[in-house]
Amino acid sequence: MSDQWRNRLMLAVALLLAAIYLFPLYWMYVTALKTGSAMFATPPKFLPSEPQWGIYSFVWESRNMGRYLWNSLVIALGAVSLIAVLGVGCAYVLARYRNAWVDVGLFLILMLQVLPASLMVTPIFVGFSQFGLLETPRFAVILAIAAKNMPFFVVLVRATFMSVPMELEEAALVDGNSRIGAFFNIALPLARNGILVSAILIFMQAFGEFVYSKSMIQAVELQPASVGLNTFMGPNTNEWNNIMAYATIYVTPVLAVFVLLQRRIVSGLTSGALK
Amino acid sequence: MTLQIELNGVNKFYGAYHALKDINLAIEKGTFVALVGPSGCGKSTLLRSLAGLEKITTGEMKIAGERMNDVPPRKRDIAMVFQSYALYPHMTVEQNLTYSLRMRGVKKAEARKAAQEVAATTGLTQLMHRYPRELSGGQRQRVAMSRAIIRHPKAFLFDEPLSNLDAALRVHMRKEIRALHDRLHATSVYVTHDQIEAMTMADHVVVMRDGVIEQQGRPLDLYDRPANRFVAGFIGSPAMNFIPAVVGEGGAHAVLDFGTTRARLALGDLVAPGLTATVGIRPEHMTIVPEGEGSFDIPVGIVESTGSATYIASATRPELTVVETVRGGVRPGDIVGLAVDPMHLHLFDTEGKRIEVEKARSDADASLRRQLAGATSEQVPV
Repeated sequence: MSDQWRNRLMLAVALLLAAIYLFPLYWMYVTALKTGSAMFATPPKFLPSEPQWGIYSFVWESRNMGRYLWNSLVIALGAVSLIAVLGVGCAYVLARYRNAWVDVGLFLILMLQVLPASLMVTPIFVGFSQFGLLETPRFAVILAIAAKNMPFFVVLVRATFMSVPMELEEAALVDGNSRIGAFFNIALPLARNGILVSAILIFMQAFGEFVYSKSMIQAVELQPASVGLNTFMGPNTNEWNNIMAYATIYVTPVLAVFVLLQRRIVSGLTSGALK
Repeated sequence: MTLQIELNGVNKFYGAYHALKDINLAIEKGTFVALVGPSGCGKSTLLRSLAGLEKITTGEMKIAGERMNDVPPRKRDIAMVFQSYALYPHMTVEQNLTYSLRMRGVKKAEARKAAQEVAATTGLTQLMHRYPRELSGGQRQRVAMSRAIIRHPKAFLFDEPLSNLDAALRVHMRKEIRALHDRLHATSVYVTHDQIEAMTMADHVVVMRDGVIEQQGRPLDLYDRPANRFVAGFIGSPAMNFIPAVVGEGGAHAVLDFGTTRARLALGDLVAPGLTATVGIRPEHMTIVPEGEGSFDIPVGIVESTGSATYIASATRPELTVVETVRGGVRPGDIVGLAVDPMHLHLFDTEGKRIEVEKARSDADASLRRQLAGATSEQVPV
């Protein structure tokens, strides 16, 4: 078999796998536009015959989605800022100093990453309620998300800092800068891309976070969009088109940002891998 | 002359590893010093300690008369050129050059003017707004040099700055760095593993091994009178030939041990008879003569010619290398004579230390007296 045929076969396989992988997304977009009867038709229709475009404004208003999305945004931005401020310093130290204690620290950080949110939520809930943090539930969720995602961020950003040669900072020291100055002048600007990419990944996770928000935020007006989506769910749920319209509004902006930045994100993730 | 850099009993430990062992060094103002030695000998550690990037464990370090042990790098007023150049990748050439001035609060216009002046002397004027990634290796090297000279520091530290350049550029930059040093009347410390760089550039060469200074002095003194076998083998290219030998009766000749054969070599001075030693002869201090006319005969092994010089390796063990500048008709397998200049012989004792002729003479006298008193020296048939 020639190379050309093999490449074509590979492409076909790749397209097939991508189609399977992206099918739920497609189904979401299509179902949102279907009428009630079209939704339950057998065999299913893959293209809506009478697209219901009005459904978006209906769902937006009836569910007060603006408020939900605002809450999601507040929580996601809060968590990302907290993680970025604390995590960058942590990652830098872990990248620059090697000793037994640093190894222990790295191990503990990776351990934290293993624990699932559904397991952590109960002790966190009890702890937060003791400290009275549940009085400010959105802040409590920000704190919980930060704790959950910090390890991921630290590990990624540490790799970025390790790709910045130590000699550059030493040159800055000899050139008259202080240790802290060399960090802000040299290491931080050179690690900027990696930090940005990691922050975007964290943002997208925090924007869709459900477990902590559902458990800690009782007041409807403070709940994020993920919890709002859950309010559709009941024993006799059948308004799939509304649910899909909600999901479309929720997911599309994040998806668009990801597609626009994907080149940078991929290169940022692999930048530390090769010298 | 004033001392610009002084090291007194400097030791450096990494945990249990003893990286620098009791280093004493005094560098006069305006001197070009080369620290040379094989990798892992501590030369880079010593340089980084001078820069303040490593903290010395014990001892005292002074720059321009001031104790520097606990002074951070930025307050030492030294400039360093790194092996990788360490140019700031996110800054243009101009920003790279002016960085140290900006750190010291020099006004922007003034810093730019200084950068222009330095760039004019190093040929970077056209490249001021480029980023390091847009420069060739040689240009990056120039930026690294310019960044060091822009602020007239108390000392320049060079950490193998030429090792990333190709051979032709390296020879060119060698002269340029030396010319720069002479123009600025600067004090420079230059780390290299290349003894030719050290010999050609430096006023004062410091040979190091395993954290110890093996010998220091003027380049030609090191070449003419190496203090031990290590320095003798390290300085000079191609390297010195070493042959195990025993000093023969009377102390006026040595018996060279080539494993299966022996050879008799006249010594310039009397040495203690019976002494086991290593004879060192530089390849350039031997000449090929017809069989039987030299000090001894050798079979020829390999002949290599570079055009200007011919390298003749003997088929003996240990192998001897001879450098001839005239093209001879020597072919592998020939038996030729070797004429050795007795004035250029080096003798090393069993521990590798140089046997000084003055001292050897008195030893020889003592030995002769012992011999007269009844002791016999080992006689080796030739």
